[in-house]
Amino acid sequence: MRILVVGDGKLGHTLAEHLAKEGHDVVIVDRSDEVLQRSEDTLDVMCVKGNGANATTLMDAGADKADIIIAATAGDETNMLCCLIAKRLGAKYAIARIRDPDFNESLNILQRELDIDMAINPERATAQEISRLIRFPFANNIESFAKGRVEMVEFRAQERDVVVGYPLKVLARKLQGLPQVLYAAVEREGRVLIPNGDFVIHAGDRVHVAADMVTITAYFRFLGKNSLRVKNVMLLGGGRISYYLARMIAPMGVHVHMIEINGQKANMLSESLPDVNVIHGDGTDQELLEQEGLKQMDAFVALCDRDEENLMAGLFAVAQGVPKVIVKNNRVAYADIINAMGLDSIISPKSITCANILRYVRARANGMGTKVEKLYRLMDGKAEALEFIARASDPYIGIPLRDLSVRPGTLVAVIVRHGKVIVPFGNDHIESGDSVVIIACQSGIGDLNEVIKR
Amino acid sequence: MNKRLVVHLLGSILLIEACCMLPSFVLALLYGDGDALALLYPMLLLLALGLPARFLTSPRDSNLRAREGFLVVALAWVLLSGFGALPFVFSGLIPNYIDAFFESVSGFTTTGATVLSEFDGLARGVMFWRSFTHWIGGMGVLVLTLALLPQLSGRASHLMRAESPGPSLSKIVPKLGDSAKILYLICLALTLMEFLLLILAGLSPYDAAIHAMGTAGTGGFSNYLDSVGAFQSPAVDAIITVFMVIFGINFAVFYRALTGGVRDALRSEELRWYLAIVGGAMLVMSFIILPRYGNFLTALRYGSFQVATISSTTGYATADFTLWPVAAKMLIVVLMFVGSCAGSTAGGIKIVRVAILCKLGRRSIRHTFQPRKVQVVRFEGKGIEEGMLSQIATFFFVYISLVFAGAFAISCEGLYDVETNFTAALSCISNVGPGLGAAGPVENYAGYGPFAKLVLSLLMLSGRLELFPILTLFTPAVWRRA
Repeated sequence: MRILVVGDGKLGHTLAEHLAKEGHDVVIVDRSDEVLQRSEDTLDVMCVKGNGANATTLMDAGADKADIIIAATAGDETNMLCCLIAKRLGAKYAIARIRDPDFNESLNILQRELDIDMAINPERATAQEISRLIRFPFANNIESFAKGRVEMVEFRAQERDVVVGYPLKVLARKLQGLPQVLYAAVEREGRVLIPNGDFVIHAGDRVHVAADMVTITAYFRFLGKNSLRVKNVMLLGGGRISYYLARMIAPMGVHVHMIEINGQKANMLSESLPDVNVIHGDGTDQELLEQEGLKQMDAFVALCDRDEENLMAGLFAVAQGVPKVIVKNNRVAYADIINAMGLDSIISPKSITCANILRYVRARANGMGTKVEKLYRLMDGKAEALEFIARASDPYIGIPLRDLSVRPGTLVAVIVRHGKVIVPFGNDHIESGDSVVIIACQSGIGDLNEVIKR
Repeated sequence: MNKRLVVHLLGSILLIEACCMLPSFVLALLYGDGDALALLYPMLLLLALGLPARFLTSPRDSNLRAREGFLVVALAWVLLSGFGALPFVFSGLIPNYIDAFFESVSGFTTTGATVLSEFDGLARGVMFWRSFTHWIGGMGVLVLTLALLPQLSGRASHLMRAESPGPSLSKIVPKLGDSAKILYLICLALTLMEFLLLILAGLSPYDAAIHAMGTAGTGGFSNYLDSVGAFQSPAVDAIITVFMVIFGINFAVFYRALTGGVRDALRSEELRWYLAIVGGAMLVMSFIILPRYGNFLTALRYGSFQVATISSTTGYATADFTLWPVAAKMLIVVLMFVGSCAGSTAGGIKIVRVAILCKLGRRSIRHTFQPRKVQVVRFEGKGIEEGMLSQIATFFFVYISLVFAGAFAISCEGLYDVETNFTAALSCISNVGPGLGAAGPVENYAGYGPFAKLVLSLLMLSGRLELFPILTLFTPAVWRRA
């Protein structure tokens, strides 16, 4: 597909990188020669210099022939105008980043009137992600598949966990009543492993299990990890993410304590968020945190502007024994190092925004070439989950999985039949019309027939 | 420096060269001139070196940085020419390796300067290879590699930038691999068109192929001593004149014409400068040589052919211009400097740079008496950054310096005169071919010694790769590990 990315900032560059890797024709528009030069040197894309809201520039970049335009400049207004003009010029779909909370209130009208197909608010999307983690505190990360019917949850295995130390195939026999989930992938020392029946989980592994939400919840209750319900949350920093997050979780009965360093801003927050306990003070001050009852918190979320402060505060919270610590960090490259320090839940607004947009683009690219229905990148792109629809003509239909050969490094994770989730075992088979989720270590799989053979 | 990656890429390029020899080998078998083995051995050697280099080195880090990019391009061209010279040696056509290397460099860089002084019409396979190097050298061997091996294209913009002529890399479509494919398809289509027209004009298919490839690469190797003049045919002269001008045009213009219409393509400022310079020079030249030929049409035929051959940096000849009036010779020297459009197969300083330098000159003159006037140098309707302007000025300076340094170096052998040695150096760095004096179109470079031939080879490579990639080879910092 031909995709126009307007604005070559952090998000624009990352998006262009992923889209170009996935084989799309990408054109980047920006006003600055410097950033364009960087993109031109490192990515296989075309760069056009100019203002993204200028029709001539957009025509130079081929907006009339573009399938998707993604407006990711620093200005919301520019992004909206850019989408509007590109659509009028002939672009098929428009995606705009709109982050100002004031616009957010009237987003539906704006989207309809300006003909924007997808409006993404990075801070709101991040807040949504955090709220999910707070609702399910046993998980480090949650991904949903098959229209939300299947959830894949990541947790870190600990010494005392009952699943540690035995081959997976004997677990069900040994532990009566362990809900049947799929062990989709394990991350050990930065490498991704796809487990088979002989696989043994070690303490410290980051285990990804998949099933429907009810089973998953039961599974974690069995492991004794679901005992905590988050009642008290401390948010560090009163930025937009904190604002959206507080508005999302306060109505769920969660007590929110928000620390903001700027007095005026703290006042405003207190005014607009009556249910929230707003504290004016420096969040990196350990005494203040202790005074405000950090030890009694069920969760701590560090959302300052500076990654380093979040990291320090997060480490302090872990040391104080807060069960769930979530840290915002925009530098994806450091994720492994931070994980090694004991912080499991790392949130990057850039990655979340990027993932959301990529998901939309992939849905649009669907049916053009490969047969992949949906593609998810897992564990910072080290593994992929792919969703396919099985067709009546495929050779593996109706044959028990035990009698089929599955490519090494891949796993038939879930089968969804008539809206019902099946975690497949050797006796199960695939029927025509099923949607099948595959987990794979390598990328570039285009057809289910490449994975499953008779 | 990432040595594994460099070796890996060079291996791929050697394999591509082996494939490029295949058509010549097949022709040699068909003609049976006894030169098939001379092509087979180099192919086997290239495979023997290229296969392990390509498949036994798996680069841990496939990240191609600017340093490696420039190095790969420069080394690739030296290696290509080095191995491309072997068929000449093995067939006995040019027994001396240095002479053969000169001939091969001249082929790949589309210069067309030759050391051959007689053609017996034999070794047709090797002679085909000699002209075929023009065709692949014109568009670029790495561009060909990119077109054939798209998995390279992730971070390969350094490769293409180092090889494609012109001050800036302008991709015509977002993907590098696709751009390379489109360029080669346009080149192939135009070459075939010329090939068919030349056959219609009465040439044998072999002669037509040799001259079509020589024109397409703006090279200038012919299989006749008198070059195109041997055919004595106005139709052939006309066809080749037109196609030489065409191959001097930026290929992006053809793509624009195909996608946006001819009217849109004609808006290109560089194209207008080029047509104005070439058209003007053709008229002026015809008037200068009018007294010699008596008839304006004949003067136009020879005048326009020589202007086209020099400004497109091809180097074919239908007349011995060393016998022309001095004004004509001077005009030829000027045209040798200018060259053709960026993004074509031609050499020289390039029209874009000359046009921008002219505007820069005008700005400086204006600045002396109106110092507060804000003046932006514009080209193709867009303002040119100061950084780019100084880069172009630097390029110009280095170009001129290399011409003088090269001319001095070859003069140290003590042969010929200032006119010959100066124009030989200029002609080589601009990838034209013939010079003036004893290096004129009816003469050849066989008279120079081995040292001069190596210097001239280096000048040809520098000119083809736009100076800097070759100059980086002589910069110690590039070779250091970091």
